[in-house]
Amino acid sequence: MTSPTERDVRTPPDRAAYAVAALLAVLSGVIAWDAAHISSTVASYSRVGAAAFPYAIAGLVMACAIGTALAAWRGDFPDREPMEFGPVAWIMGGLVAQIVLVGFAGFSIATGVLFGLTARGFGGKPLWLTIPIGIVLSFLLYVLFSKGLQLSLPQGPLERLI
Amino acid sequence: MESFDALLLGLSVAVQPQNLFYAFIGVLLGTAVGVLPGIGPALTVALLLPVTFKLDPGGSLIMFAGIYYGGMYGGSTSSILLNTPGESASIITALEGNKMARAGRGGPALATAAIGSFVAGLIATIALTFLAPWVVEIALNFGPADYFALMVLAFTTVSAAFGGSALRGLTALFIGLSLGLVGIDLQTGQARLAFGVPDLLDGVEVTTTAVAMFALGETLYIASLGSRMRETIEPVRGSLWMTAQDWARSWKPWLRGTALGFPIGALPAGGAEIPTFLSYSAEKALSKHPEEFGHGAIEGVAGPEAANNASAAGVLVPLLTLGLPTSATAAMMLAGFQQYGIQPGPLLFSTNADLVWGLIASLFIANTMLLVLNLPLIGMWVRLLSIPRPWLYGGILVFATLGTLGANPSQFELAMLAALGLLGFAMRYFDYPVAPVIIGLILGPLAEQQLRRALAISQGDPAALFESSIAIGIYAVCAIVLFGPVLWKLVQRKNGKTLPA
Amino acid sequence: MRVLFKAAAGILLAAAAVLPVSAQELSIMAPAGPGGGWDQTARSLQNALQTEKLATNVQVTNVPGAGGTIGLAQFVSQNKGKADALIVGGYVMVGAILTNNAPVTLDQVTPIARLTGEYEAIVVPTSSPIKTMGDLVAQLKADPGTVSWGGGSAGGTDHITVGLIAKAAGVDPTKINYIPFSGGGEALAAIVGGKVTAGISGYGEFEQQVKAGKLRVLAVSSPERLPNVDGPTLKESGIDVEVQNWRGVWAAPDITDEQKASLISMIEKVNASKTWQDTLATKGWANTFLAGDAFADVLKQEIEKTTAVLKEIGLVK
Repeated sequence: MTSPTERDVRTPPDRAAYAVAALLAVLSGVIAWDAAHISSTVASYSRVGAAAFPYAIAGLVMACAIGTALAAWRGDFPDREPMEFGPVAWIMGGLVAQIVLVGFAGFSIATGVLFGLTARGFGGKPLWLTIPIGIVLSFLLYVLFSKGLQLSLPQGPLERLI
Repeated sequence: MESFDALLLGLSVAVQPQNLFYAFIGVLLGTAVGVLPGIGPALTVALLLPVTFKLDPGGSLIMFAGIYYGGMYGGSTSSILLNTPGESASIITALEGNKMARAGRGGPALATAAIGSFVAGLIATIALTFLAPWVVEIALNFGPADYFALMVLAFTTVSAAFGGSALRGLTALFIGLSLGLVGIDLQTGQARLAFGVPDLLDGVEVTTTAVAMFALGETLYIASLGSRMRETIEPVRGSLWMTAQDWARSWKPWLRGTALGFPIGALPAGGAEIPTFLSYSAEKALSKHPEEFGHGAIEGVAGPEAANNASAAGVLVPLLTLGLPTSATAAMMLAGFQQYGIQPGPLLFSTNADLVWGLIASLFIANTMLLVLNLPLIGMWVRLLSIPRPWLYGGILVFATLGTLGANPSQFELAMLAALGLLGFAMRYFDYPVAPVIIGLILGPLAEQQLRRALAISQGDPAALFESSIAIGIYAVCAIVLFGPVLWKLVQRKNGKTLPA
Repeated sequence: MRVLFKAAAGILLAAAAVLPVSAQELSIMAPAGPGGGWDQTARSLQNALQTEKLATNVQVTNVPGAGGTIGLAQFVSQNKGKADALIVGGYVMVGAILTNNAPVTLDQVTPIARLTGEYEAIVVPTSSPIKTMGDLVAQLKADPGTVSWGGGSAGGTDHITVGLIAKAAGVDPTKINYIPFSGGGEALAAIVGGKVTAGISGYGEFEQQVKAGKLRVLAVSSPERLPNVDGPTLKESGIDVEVQNWRGVWAAPDITDEQKASLISMIEKVNASKTWQDTLATKGWANTFLAGDAFADVLKQEIEKTTAVLKEIGLVK
């Protein structure tokens, strides 16, 4: 294990910080690649075309990537709290479930599932209790906003009942 | 004082009991819809406009004004309490407001927002009454080059305000600029960074991003702390009401916010977001407690809230004097006028004076009604935070997705929300500030379009950017913002004083 | 008491769940967000259908995005062969499909009727030295770059019209200096403030400014002069261009001829109804009703013409 300075001898290299720098570099690359594919045949009297800003921003993002890599190398990337994946997974699962369900099960069921899974992520009551509560809550919101105020929200079997 | 008499006449109509009742209903409905994140005042008015069809013109305008102000205020409430900005103009409010709410100071935060909105609305409506013809002359002189100068000023002050760690703040800002590139380039109609996905052609929605970054990112971050969630939300600590110190720290930001919001709102391409950025930067620079910024500084709520309300009244300047709807909300107001066969425009004041003054009087009434209605409710609102954590966060996500789905019922938009939420979570985890992302997303496209427009009109001559005296004046202010503090220190040093670092 | 009752009725209308007595159900898609032109058309249609008892339960859904092409794609995939679904759209969609290279086009839906339309107007500030369309065309021919046109988004109706004008005047359409603005108000402010040489948009956008003497109409894009508009047509000014920014309604793909005929007859009834005529009057929409196959033919020509000009401007490859 090599360390740039004596001070850092005991700390392992900050892999996550290098990963952030790498992601920024990838972002910069994607923007520049996309800009290179903008082919405008429209008359541009402004001389600053559709690709100019993307190139400039790609350059700035790349500068940040380099800066971040340097910060990682010097070890001044900030310390982080250890992360627990469980609760995050519950919530992300809830969001994904909602996206999948909202298409055919409608707003109330999909959002109810999101509510239940999020509550579970925060250490709430069991799912058999929270999901039905969420569905009832979402259904009431649906009635209020969709029927009362003509907001068009996705419909499913429950929504078609009324 | 011709306008003064006319205003009094308008007020006498507006205070009739039935009209007060309409104002009450309008404020109530407006607030109820406005708290939904992603659904701002424009959409609120659009959704509720049919309700007002059923009333007579006077009552309808009053209810309309109530819905509008209610929608605006509802956005701030959800920003402060739930960290889910209801609309793009209240994004800045969430920065300090939610920190205050989590520290048990939700009461003063809501109160300073409500009173600040009221004060700003009052002053701005008075300015609208008496200054509209002059303000609009100046506003019409703003060309693309001047708007570009304004964007440069916004970037300058904002980067000064968010410069905790320069690298981190700038990285966040550039991520925002990158997101702002997505979609059809307005000037050439070319798609950028859309990768052939039709849903991306309209770009990344600002409110979706704000809700994702703030509400979702924060929720995920707190969840990731798992059993070590030390952060406890205290619904109330100390006074529920504003203390003498809160008042002392609030009144100047209210006035400064109004002074920024009204004229910028009156500009045809000014908008409500830029004055909130400028106000926040100004308050941070001028505050005696700059260290509190980022941890719940009341000035950071008072200033931007006053600014966004004042800009709402500013938008009425070009609408009423020229018939120019310069924002989505103004366009909806135009639709509201048109249902009575009235076309706002240069002739409106002479042909329909009674209705114009009726509307202005209605704004006063709605503004007052909002204050009367909301101050007593603050106690109830802050108690929302005492809901047990699983239910509270479950509810926040339900609200966030309801708002997103209401504005655009598509699975793609929900997926964007989730993806940007993950980005917000990652940024929070690595200690990046998230506000600059939103600022870059809003300002970047504006700056780019105005610059290219200015250059196209001049057929590519960059000298056109510095030709107008307005632009030169704005660049001078930029220079003062950038170099003023340094020069000031030099002067102080020359005088033999030493400054604390 | 009466006032209270009226107000209470208003609230009930707003807040109460409407219980449908299902007889004929219909869903109308507005491929735009709430509040815009297509949304207003869809909701006005909904109102007329229900008030005139032509359908009992009409739902409006909003699917915004990409000039209506996202809504169109969703409409086609979800409603094949369904006789109870309509989609609102207009000329803007024709352009958007082409510039966005959209996979689903208007060929895949069944044209029912064109409902309303608006003509384009070309204006200059009153203080401008340009007095007639001839002056403007002369300057355009001399140096197209010096004529900056302020209008709506790139590839939209305004841009297409400028392209057609340039072409008709014998100027290379790729040389036009078109400045797109995002909102109507912003464009109008730039035009009134003299930031661009000329402005182009639907006449309704300019009406108040023209009446107040701030803008001068050089020409309108209608086949004949418009009532209450003091300006010649483009044709009279020697430019052979006619553009109508219309809105219409389509049905789902693969419906039977009987289903199509019954939908056309329903929309014809709407068009003849007092409710609809009143709506047109209050909203200031011109009635350019054209039903069934006649609409389909016009649509086909419009698409061909638009494709050609967008290619010449360089917006479509």
